[in-house]
Amino acid sequence: MSYKIAVASSDGIHIDKTFGAAKEFLIYEVTDEAYVKSEVRAAEEVRNAADEAAQPQKESGLQDGCGNTGGCGKDGCNSQTGGGCSGGGEVSGKVELVSDCRSIVCKKIGFHIQKQLERKAITSFDVDCTVEEALQKITAYFHKVDTHQSFRRASVENHNT
Amino acid sequence: MAKLLDKQRYKCALGAMQTVQAITRAIPVLHSGPGCAQKLSDSTGSSGYFSPNIFPCTSINEKDVVFGGTKKLETTIENALKVIDADLYVVLTGCIPEIVGDDTGEVVSRFADADKPVIYASTAGFKGNNYKGHEQVIDAIIEQYLEKSDEKEKGLVNIWADVPYQDLFWLGNIRELEKLLAEIGLKPNTIFGYNRGIDNINKIPKAEFNLLVSPWVSIGNMKKMERKLGIPYLHYPTLPIGAYETSKFLREVGKFAGVDEAKVEAVINEHENYYYYLIERYADLFLENRVINKQFTVVADAQYALGITKFLANDLGLVPAKQFVVDDTPKQFREAISEEFKKLNFNLEAEVVFETDGYKIHNQIKEHDYHGYPLILGSYYEKELTESLKGNYLNISWPVQDKVVLDDFYVGYTGGIRLIEDIYSVAVQRWN
Repeated sequence: MSYKIAVASSDGIHIDKTFGAAKEFLIYEVTDEAYVKSEVRAAEEVRNAADEAAQPQKESGLQDGCGNTGGCGKDGCNSQTGGGCSGGGEVSGKVELVSDCRSIVCKKIGFHIQKQLERKAITSFDVDCTVEEALQKITAYFHKVDTHQSFRRASVENHNT
Repeated sequence: MAKLLDKQRYKCALGAMQTVQAITRAIPVLHSGPGCAQKLSDSTGSSGYFSPNIFPCTSINEKDVVFGGTKKLETTIENALKVIDADLYVVLTGCIPEIVGDDTGEVVSRFADADKPVIYASTAGFKGNNYKGHEQVIDAIIEQYLEKSDEKEKGLVNIWADVPYQDLFWLGNIRELEKLLAEIGLKPNTIFGYNRGIDNINKIPKAEFNLLVSPWVSIGNMKKMERKLGIPYLHYPTLPIGAYETSKFLREVGKFAGVDEAKVEAVINEHENYYYYLIERYADLFLENRVINKQFTVVADAQYALGITKFLANDLGLVPAKQFVVDDTPKQFREAISEEFKKLNFNLEAEVVFETDGYKIHNQIKEHDYHGYPLILGSYYEKELTESLKGNYLNISWPVQDKVVLDDFYVGYTGGIRLIEDIYSVAVQRWN
């Protein structure tokens, strides 16, 4: 079974973009533990109302560049539309853009966006490492999950036997 | 196949955070998932200067499983040192970091030069229960903190007994043991509870010997201290409750420490006189068959099952039915503990069962003929069962819902009297 991982990187080597600041996502296609870059998705044209709402705050310095709109999103915690802190409300266009991926890797990611991704069963990782390292670790992890293998490292296993 | 543990009577090894908490001004730094400490902190009497709600924790999540949690651990320790004013920082690992292989020891070693001591103990749940975790914490102190001392203090004895918080009476018991040892002229040193702490830990290497009062918990610690610190140990397997066992205990400790026999006998004599004065005054109550039960069962860890069985048989002349040891005693200690249950006065022997499954324990209690109403001393799980058997019940082991204990104790002469008071208070109530 194959799946996709979206990576926020400007050079394809380092994970150097936050979710909010990413202009594009590199999409990797993973089969078992092997991954290949399959496409580059431009993220700029997908801004929707949810993203626009975050914009003024960004200009006033309240936005943290992580796709987090500061506080609990545009409606605040008392949102009547089911928004608030649980990532409800209108879904960010960027989240829609990667909704066919199993995982998203970026430098930083806001809580609000993280919750939106969670609702779509997309695992987000905010890490500071190279694309290669991240992909190796994530694909190894998913492989173990899918094949019901223990996460226990080989060295630990030897130690205990 | 996975087994369901019915009526669990202990916690996972990370429960040893309570052992750390019992050391005044020592703080556990948890390398575990969020919620571990929350689940483990149900015991009463754990608020105060440090409480489980403020224990620093790495709160590791999926990301740390994939990428490792050592970076988070380092910053957590670093910041704990900055914002928490403690004397000793003990990093405890939960299951997740140990399964994925975080090298906690390596991270902790980076803090060797910190102003305050930082040590770590491996307390993953799959390594055992909180009795084991308690041993791991003491081991960590011995291995990573204590140094051998050439200087010895005359008469100084380290006392090790109950597992704090797991045992309801840990504080009172250890203080009473201290008192008894002081009376025969020794200088007791303990590390748990009020007015004890890092200074007492520092004194450990200067002791002439270690005294362990426990059937099995901490035997490994004693051996480790003997090897590393050159401190011999006296292992007294029975928690001395009541006059018979306490006098025996004092004689044995006195002999081991080389205390003048006459001095020990004088202390024993004084205590026994008062003890039997009280017993005599209430002999009519004890002889009143209608009030107390003929046979009893204790459902507790090895410490209490053994201590109470000996007390009820030797001092009160009650007949032991089956006794249940529920602390998942390691196999290598079981035979020796079973033997101890056979050393009772009046040619009595108690059958002991090592069992952690509450369902099986309850079935065996129901099947036994107690020749009347049973007396059952156990955890809260035994309450309903005892009621259904119309027996008398006393909550003495974890989990405890029925009793609030601040510094009460069952150890020693006075402790025996307290236990009698508790048992007979229950017994007389049914006739009111």
